[in-house]
Amino acid sequence: MRRERIGLVVITLLAAAGVLYWVQASRGGSTGPAPAGVVRGGRLIATHRSEPQSFNRYASANPAEELFARLTQATLVRLNRATGELEPRLAREWSSSPDGLTWTVKLREGVRFSDGLPFTSSDVLFTFQVLYDKRVASPLAGSAMVGDNPLTVRALDTQTVVIVFPAVYGPGLAILDSLPILPEHKLRRAFESGTFKQAWGVATPASEFAGLGPFTLQEYVPGQRVVYQSNPEFWRTDDQGRKLPYLDQIEVQIVPEQSAEMLRLEAGTVDVTTDQVRAEDLAGLQALQARGVVTLNEAGVATNPEMFWLNLNPSSALAKTRPWSQRLELRQAISHAVDRRRIVDTVYLGAAEPIFSTVTPGYGEWYVPDLPPIEFDQTRARALLASIGLADRNGDGKLDDERGETARFAIVTQKGHTIRERTCAIIQEQLQAVGLTVDVVALERTAFFSQVLGGTYEAAFFQLIFDSFDPASQFDFWASSKGFHIWHPSQAKPATEWEARIDDLMVKQSTTLDRAERRRLFAEAQRVLAANQPVITFAAAKVVVATSARVGGAMPSVLAPPVLWNAEMLWLVPAPAGASGK
Amino acid sequence: MNADLAAFIGRRLAAALLFVVVVSCAAFVLVRIAPGDATTDLYMQRGGTAAVEETRARLGLDRPMVSHLASWATGLLTFDLGQSSVYGRPVAGLVKERAGATAALASLALLLAAAIGLPLGVLTASRPAIAAAVAPISIALVACPPIIAVLALLLLAIETGWLSIAQGSYAVPTLALALPLAAMLERLQSRAMAEALASPDLVAAAARGVPRGRLLWVHAARQSLRPVLGIAGAVVGTLFSGSLAVEMVTSWPGLGRLLFDAVAGRDLFLAAGCALVGAVLVAVSNLLADVARALIDPRVREAA
Amino acid sequence: MIASAWVRWRMRLGAALLATFAGVAILAPVIAPNDPNSQFQDKAYAPPMRVRIAEGGSIRAPFVRQQVLEDRLARRFRDSDTTPLTLIWFSDGRLVTLEPSDGPLLLLGADSLGRDLFSRLVHGARLSFALAALGVAGALVLGALIGGLAGSAGGGIETGLMFITDFFLVLPGAYLVLVLRGALPLILSTTQVFFLMAALFAVAAWPHAARGVRAIVATERQREYAMAARAAGAGPLRLMRHLLPAARSFLGVEIMLLIPALLIAEATVSYLGLGFPVPTPSLGTMLQDAAKVSLMREAPWLLAPAATLFVVVLAVQLVVWTSAPATDLLVGRRRTQ
Repeated sequence: MRRERIGLVVITLLAAAGVLYWVQASRGGSTGPAPAGVVRGGRLIATHRSEPQSFNRYASANPAEELFARLTQATLVRLNRATGELEPRLAREWSSSPDGLTWTVKLREGVRFSDGLPFTSSDVLFTFQVLYDKRVASPLAGSAMVGDNPLTVRALDTQTVVIVFPAVYGPGLAILDSLPILPEHKLRRAFESGTFKQAWGVATPASEFAGLGPFTLQEYVPGQRVVYQSNPEFWRTDDQGRKLPYLDQIEVQIVPEQSAEMLRLEAGTVDVTTDQVRAEDLAGLQALQARGVVTLNEAGVATNPEMFWLNLNPSSALAKTRPWSQRLELRQAISHAVDRRRIVDTVYLGAAEPIFSTVTPGYGEWYVPDLPPIEFDQTRARALLASIGLADRNGDGKLDDERGETARFAIVTQKGHTIRERTCAIIQEQLQAVGLTVDVVALERTAFFSQVLGGTYEAAFFQLIFDSFDPASQFDFWASSKGFHIWHPSQAKPATEWEARIDDLMVKQSTTLDRAERRRLFAEAQRVLAANQPVITFAAAKVVVATSARVGGAMPSVLAPPVLWNAEMLWLVPAPAGASGK
Repeated sequence: MNADLAAFIGRRLAAALLFVVVVSCAAFVLVRIAPGDATTDLYMQRGGTAAVEETRARLGLDRPMVSHLASWATGLLTFDLGQSSVYGRPVAGLVKERAGATAALASLALLLAAAIGLPLGVLTASRPAIAAAVAPISIALVACPPIIAVLALLLLAIETGWLSIAQGSYAVPTLALALPLAAMLERLQSRAMAEALASPDLVAAAARGVPRGRLLWVHAARQSLRPVLGIAGAVVGTLFSGSLAVEMVTSWPGLGRLLFDAVAGRDLFLAAGCALVGAVLVAVSNLLADVARALIDPRVREAA
Repeated sequence: MIASAWVRWRMRLGAALLATFAGVAILAPVIAPNDPNSQFQDKAYAPPMRVRIAEGGSIRAPFVRQQVLEDRLARRFRDSDTTPLTLIWFSDGRLVTLEPSDGPLLLLGADSLGRDLFSRLVHGARLSFALAALGVAGALVLGALIGGLAGSAGGGIETGLMFITDFFLVLPGAYLVLVLRGALPLILSTTQVFFLMAALFAVAAWPHAARGVRAIVATERQREYAMAARAAGAGPLRLMRHLLPAARSFLGVEIMLLIPALLIAEATVSYLGLGFPVPTPSLGTMLQDAAKVSLMREAPWLLAPAATLFVVVLAVQLVVWTSAPATDLLVGRRRTQ
């Protein structure tokens, strides 16, 4: 009897250890590709909040199209969205000339499109031809220019291309990260007849597509789902030589509401959602993680924080009627008057970090940790406001300007976006405490953009999305002559001395290939921006990405799509015997 | 079918057609003059001004309004409702799916409401015992317009799990529309029935010895049909308005949400298409109700 | 018309509820314990405070217990066991509140930004009610004028006006307001939205009133005194002045029917985001916070505005379904008197 009992205990302990190890191993996380537990096959179910308007990445630039391109097409090189490193994809290796202008790129050999035809340099040439074509007017063209000049591409032979940059470009070949290679044999005719933009629309039959990505389109049911199946011709293998992708199929269900996505994740009917988890869902998901239903991955601090800015265009109505609104002291006062802790606690329920710059800790090497911090200090804020002539002249408790009018301005933001509306409500309340009157106006998207682009707004609160960590992808924001220099866009020449300084620094950092030098220059630009605060940031969310417990190999990123960007390396842990399959 | 009825139907048809035309053109014009247009979103995705200009030209946004409206109207003749800028698909297909979903929801709700409300109304008018139990519930439900009903049902579903809240499930949306309507029909039917029961025709029939069951369900019911049919037009309007709120709360893929997205995205053809189909649905239901009333009550045919 | 005790009781209950609602709405600044826009730190999603009168076996003045935040991410609070906080009555211009150092009195809990739900509710009721009242006034004036003119003039004018009326009558109100409001410029202050919405509601609601008024006035036109006036040469406008008063009781009932309809309309439009700007408390904007599935589970008190709307509409139903003229109106019969 005793021996049996001991035996039972030992077996139980061993089993428990085995289960623990198995749970541990299937937790995934960023431990690198292909650990021992990989299982081939299975159908991953994902949700996405928007549906594609077209399958032509060069004609349309929405997130749903981007997902399609990531799954079915491949680029020459790719920026690893978790680590930021440049990885070879269709390009096997590359080298640059000493002046950094001419890059010789060797293509991978023996690669075939999903329809079996070979991939050669002429496909690369065709892709670039389409990219820069005026008739196509591709939205991707802007990000593939260096100083408004296109790259020139020519083929040395079927496996080698030469890319010539018009000027030295800091990120180098990373510029190719967002350019999927198109199959010339499928699209040349449409291109030549001028109907390229209509090619590969949503009604195109699946057999018309050909791609170099890990999956191919199997079916698209409008309003419901897009189903992909694995591409047997996919060129990549893992470290152990196994063919990728591991999955058989990916089903992307179209679910327009984030609450609905969460419900499905919690019910265990989907594996992956569009993007990160909201703060209000975290507590519930943590409980589910404890029960083994979902896995939560922390991907780092968000890199696209919400920003507040005032309209600093001297010809705007705001600048003309309220000159005090253009003063640096006002912006410093606002930054001191708002308690960032309050925003972190109330809007993000604690799952965020207070930040003082647009470049958050999530940017890795580009983040500058020693920028001067801005304390929550209402007295200092009041003093700053008093120094620009704002005082309560009529005893109503609100600050007035020198003409006796109440000092007020309106912040526009996006209606229906909980984080933006709530943060603006807190900003309004905190500024009221120091005497500034602020109106919050929530507009729906189109009206909001219309206001901001038309320059008729006074202050705004929104988020700019950059799709990589490299500062060169943010050039349009930092450079005063560009359209996304949001507080005063498209300047003919820099309006202030500090903007001229930033322009200079940004141009320098984007025209050198020396990484350390680029970091130094960008850090300096950040310091100049921090000293002048044309935009004020308050908090950045701690990005948590949730997957169902059966997903393995996820490398979550703060950039979207957080899990599916590396879909070829995902696998599904099979359900334990006896459990119902999904 | 006599000449009177034919003329009546002819007039109503013409009015319905005019209604549909005015409503869809009005939607087109309103979205066109609204601030911002369909390309504003594209610019924000840093498509560059060339892409924006090209899209504006392709969508016809730089043409004068009248010619734009005219070309859209001519497209209607071939059932071509144009292309949606928000969804990138032909409007006709999109609207057909969504209108189908809303129509399915509304008809199911109407059927359910009629099946529950009308018979209950007959019963409450004839048996005071049932009235005492049903009337308070009825009054409470009438006080629950769809937006409140849908929130209450959602809460109920979450707390108890008796109803499914999965997307695409008919349970919560249909009940949210049907219950208040059923209560309203019950109240109306009860009232009309009470009057019919007291009318001289019925008293005479009873004196003739017609059995109680037939009296109730055949004679009195027929008489009470008139006022109930009379509000049929208002019922359709209420169903549509109510379905908008229900669709937004439960993410039901219906016409109301599509119209909302179209107006929000300044998608001209989609908004006009939605308005067109919505107007057609409303006009057709009203037409049917009017014809039914005209068949029952000849007096109605004289009034235009 | 059976006027049983049950029916009379229903009418009194309905009237009492309506009077309470109107009273609370008008007296909102006094009844609300806090400012509706104050955000209280660390009180987001706080549950309602329970008012107790018994402590440790003895009765004392009404008090509440302080709430302590246990887990921010899970939004969990508990009642502390420290000294009870006594309610203070009639101080600082408010009916009931707490000592300033004790924190806010949250009778219905707090919303996602830590604002007192009860105070927002009474202020929101006030705003929504005022809007509904203005909208009803507009709709009735418009409806009475158009319907009265149509009924008094007869002939082509009557047919034309009634055609227009029927056109608008058939349009689903929510869609009409959605498209109109969605297409209008959108930077509007609370005051501007108030008057704009009142105008939109008047436009959406006048047809029903016009229809009824026309019917009554057209019947009146056949009366002897009216025939005499027409024979004497009175034009439609003059005639209207004499005939309109006959529609008094109808208009009375219309008010009762339209107020809840417009309250619901405001709630729907604001919920969709096309109504009042977000920080402003109104029954509809408060529903935006409440209608999230994930919140309903944990903070059901956020549905208080929906419950309020339900009570108001119920009160109106109780009154309406017991009064003869109203019920006849709903059934579609014409009274012979």
